[in-house]
Amino acid sequence: MRRIANGNLVLVSAAACVVWIAVWAWITRSGGPVSSLFLPSPGDVVERFGRMWVKPYIGSTLLGHVFSSLSIVLAGWALGGIVGVPLGVAMAWWPRVKWLVFPIFQLIRPVPPLAWIPLTLVWMGIGEPARIFVVFIAALVPWLMNSMQAVGSVDPLLIDAGRTLGASDGKILTRIVCRTALPTLIAGARIALGNAWTTLVAAELLAATAGLGYVALNASRMLDTDVLVVAMLLIGLLGVLLSLLMKLATHVLAPWSLSQQKG
Amino acid sequence: MAVNASPSPILSRPLAYGATSLGILALAWVLATSVLGWVGPEVLPSPLAVIARFANLIVEPFAGAALFGHVLASLERWSYGVFFAIVLGVPFGIFFAWVPWFRAVVNPVFETLRYIPPFAWVPIAILWFGASTATQAMVVFIAAFPACVINAQLGVQHVDNILVQAARVFGADQLNTLRRVVVPVATPSIFTGIRIAISNGWMALVGAELVVGKTGLGFLIAQGQQNDSVSTIFVGIIAIGVLGVLIDLCVQRLERRLMPWQLP
Repeated sequence: MRRIANGNLVLVSAAACVVWIAVWAWITRSGGPVSSLFLPSPGDVVERFGRMWVKPYIGSTLLGHVFSSLSIVLAGWALGGIVGVPLGVAMAWWPRVKWLVFPIFQLIRPVPPLAWIPLTLVWMGIGEPARIFVVFIAALVPWLMNSMQAVGSVDPLLIDAGRTLGASDGKILTRIVCRTALPTLIAGARIALGNAWTTLVAAELLAATAGLGYVALNASRMLDTDVLVVAMLLIGLLGVLLSLLMKLATHVLAPWSLSQQKG
Repeated sequence: MAVNASPSPILSRPLAYGATSLGILALAWVLATSVLGWVGPEVLPSPLAVIARFANLIVEPFAGAALFGHVLASLERWSYGVFFAIVLGVPFGIFFAWVPWFRAVVNPVFETLRYIPPFAWVPIAILWFGASTATQAMVVFIAAFPACVINAQLGVQHVDNILVQAARVFGADQLNTLRRVVVPVATPSIFTGIRIAISNGWMALVGAELVVGKTGLGFLIAQGQQNDSVSTIFVGIIAIGVLGVLIDLCVQRLERRLMPWQLP
């Protein structure tokens, strides 16, 4: 920001990356100050990463675990949208629905989604439905809140204008409300997906027989630190990818929102 | 659509509707469990059973401690994690925004680690610290730290440059500018970060306690599940929710006290 030009800062960052990895490699070298049981060396992590693609680790290959995690996240997230968006829109459109549903919602909201895990385990047992349910609860809140806000923030003048020009209620909803509300809705979808991913990892620590969280916990119990670090980095990487995908979706579905935000 | 606060008979309608829906929910709960017996206590305990269990947990230890003991254990870990997150995270964030080369050096590591969700740290925390307070405190710290850093950084970055230049013109050195101008202006943003950190930390703690530990509210509900005592799970969930709300209220109070010019 000050004094040093931006280009130089990128160089400093790149150099820093190299230095950090070198430090990591140096402290974890065989006979180094940090034991590989505590933190594996970068070489071990890369090697293990390569091996896990082909050789199954607790049940399936790395790709299998990734698919297991992703399919549950997407299922829970989509379910959250299917329930949350119509409910949120209805709550913003008809005050009575809001008055009825909101108190129940407020009652449930302070409870972290994770606290539901033991309850879902009792109700559904260890399996995909339990994990999907927990992810669903984590995703539902942003879906619902943002769709409610999205519809609520539509300029009443536009609605009045539409009505004056003879549009029906249904047409106003699809042609005016939905279009103005789309950016907020997509933002909600993005937050929901982030929440879903975070929560899934926790659910996999407790109630899973596959998935990256499950791999991480097992690796910790078997002292396979290299596997553990592979799983952690992959969880982070997939989180970034999901968030990038949602940003792309904003560009494609509601490009006008981007210029709006800047202005 | 927006409900304003002026008192009129029509405006009590939302309240009436809310009371109705909550009443129906409570009635359905009582009917399904106690009166008609559609669902057994192993699936959904009756409200009375939950209240009885609550009273019972207050006096009688379950899973190693009485309810109050679990609450204290949770609060202790949570406050360690949040304390360190604030004490380290806020100066770190300020420094991040103020010293560009520092940010350039640390950012790659920070960004990489930030994208790993707090719960993904639970297994490695177990490996490093075992089933101890430090494990849970570390998970809380990891959940709370980024919010402190990012909001402090944003607060400092958004300080009007004219203010900084004015301070310079009046002869303030770097440290004085930071202390007298930049930090006070950035305080609201810093506080937002602290508030997010506090609630993130509470959520992460529950997750950590579910996986590892021998006391705490998360452990209580995990034990309730192991012993097929759904009423215990309910008591635990309610306690977690109520404490979360109370903590947030306290922070809001504190915020209003410290920065009376900020909030209406």
